[in-house]
Amino acid sequence: MHHIVLDRWSRGGTAFHQLDPRAKIVPLLVLLIALATAQRGLAAFSCAALALIVAALLTARIPIAAAFARAAIVLPFTLVFALTCWLSGDLARGEAMAVKSYVSALAVLTVVATTPLPSLLRGLELLRIPSFLLTVTQFVYRYLFVISEEGQHMSKAAAARGAAERHWFSPSAFRAAAGALGVLFARSYGRAAGIHDAMLARGFHGHIHTLSRLRFRARDAAFASAVSLAVVALRLALERIA
Amino acid sequence: MHIPDGFLATPVWAALDIAAAPAVGYMARRAQRGFDDAKAPLLGVMGAFVFAAQMINFPVGVGASDHLVGGALLAYTLGPAAASVTMTAILAIQALVFQDGGILALGANTVNMAILGVLAGYLPFYLWGQGRGRKAAIFAGGALSALVCAVMAVSELLLSGVRVSMSILSVSAAVFLVSAILEGAITLAVIEALENIQPGFVKKPGEGRSFALGAAALAALVLSTVGVLFASTAPDGLAWLSEKAGVSSRAKSLVATPLADYQAQFLPAGWHAKALAGLAGLAAVYAACIAIGRLVARKRSA
Repeated sequence: MHHIVLDRWSRGGTAFHQLDPRAKIVPLLVLLIALATAQRGLAAFSCAALALIVAALLTARIPIAAAFARAAIVLPFTLVFALTCWLSGDLARGEAMAVKSYVSALAVLTVVATTPLPSLLRGLELLRIPSFLLTVTQFVYRYLFVISEEGQHMSKAAAARGAAERHWFSPSAFRAAAGALGVLFARSYGRAAGIHDAMLARGFHGHIHTLSRLRFRARDAAFASAVSLAVVALRLALERIA
Repeated sequence: MHIPDGFLATPVWAALDIAAAPAVGYMARRAQRGFDDAKAPLLGVMGAFVFAAQMINFPVGVGASDHLVGGALLAYTLGPAAASVTMTAILAIQALVFQDGGILALGANTVNMAILGVLAGYLPFYLWGQGRGRKAAIFAGGALSALVCAVMAVSELLLSGVRVSMSILSVSAAVFLVSAILEGAITLAVIEALENIQPGFVKKPGEGRSFALGAAALAALVLSTVGVLFASTAPDGLAWLSEKAGVSSRAKSLVATPLADYQAQFLPAGWHAKALAGLAGLAAVYAACIAIGRLVARKRSA
């Protein structure tokens, strides 16, 4: 599946990958807020943000073209709205929306592509996001691929039995799709019970432990503060020029 | 409909982030209370199911197909609090891994889909989920859930000053209505299929019944209605509001909020004011979350 590439990228061994997740989350939030609140000098600031992101991607040895292409997922939705704004006679806002959403998505992608999701979530937990929510998020991510593949198998099996995809409404086809979804639900539910039993057998008591403990070192602090300050300084300087 | 970053005006996303944090915290505690620790894997796997459900397409008419959104279905099978947590987790994964929805807009998306969407979907089931009107209640819940999500998202965009002409607005209203009806039909069909497989999957609305949650569901409905009324009567949303309040014309307004328009008014209006205000806002959100969390935790342990 196409998103597995993100998981592979995140397991690299560069210095950027090895930063504490919190040292990447904090500058990311600063950048996102700076971008979201930017009005004057937005074009210049977006270019500066792009330069920072490209520098990060280069340091982390992540294929830049592929990352830019992945972030373009946001564009279809964004462009529809930009077009709507343009038709309503507000071109500037449409442009700003498209630019902001694309650069924001790219910034998020850069952090997620250089931090394995479990340690990213652990970093969020240390930033006081409820751990129950993050544990559930972790499970969603872990079983996403398993259950999706099960769904794919089911629709392939249905096609093999001659269930042609019909393009007009028919109650029987609708009911068949609902039945398939019901079976997938029941299977997922059963799988969850099995997973929980297996986890209990291994000593799970409501919290996932990681083998490596996160440590916020001096270089993490230095990186986080340097990047955050650079973003703020760039934003202010470019706003003044504009 | 997942709102990306850069779409909403700062006061809108900031306010919704602040609103979402304690709401999700409350839902997480409620979901944990109802069950033992088995809940985390169950909710996670069911979240993965909602993802996978998007792969099964329902034939809905000439050349079109639709898929389940799932908020109402989860509310009927896991309970509303657990459904909220699961939907929030799904939204987080979508924002982080799939770039579907923004990080700053996560609060807005959570309020729309995981809180108000789920509660609005649960309300008819809660009220009429037993007896003769059951089928109608399940259908109405699915439809209402999808409708509330869409209406909230559009109101937030309008409040942010995104100008949408009346014709586009009415076309999208029609689209929302059709997809809401489809969500209701799909939810009902899947619930019926589930009951054929094993009747115990669907919870009775009486289980875990609590006045608080019912009231919250009602509030969700009222809030979204108010939202759309407000958004439609204020044509240019916040721009209009801020003009009225004199923020944009830099006139001194009567009530000077410290972070109005995300520009610190106690600071000289200049190049560093906005950045400082942004950071102060973030710090305030963070402090509020921790404070509320601590307060609730203390109350519970006392």
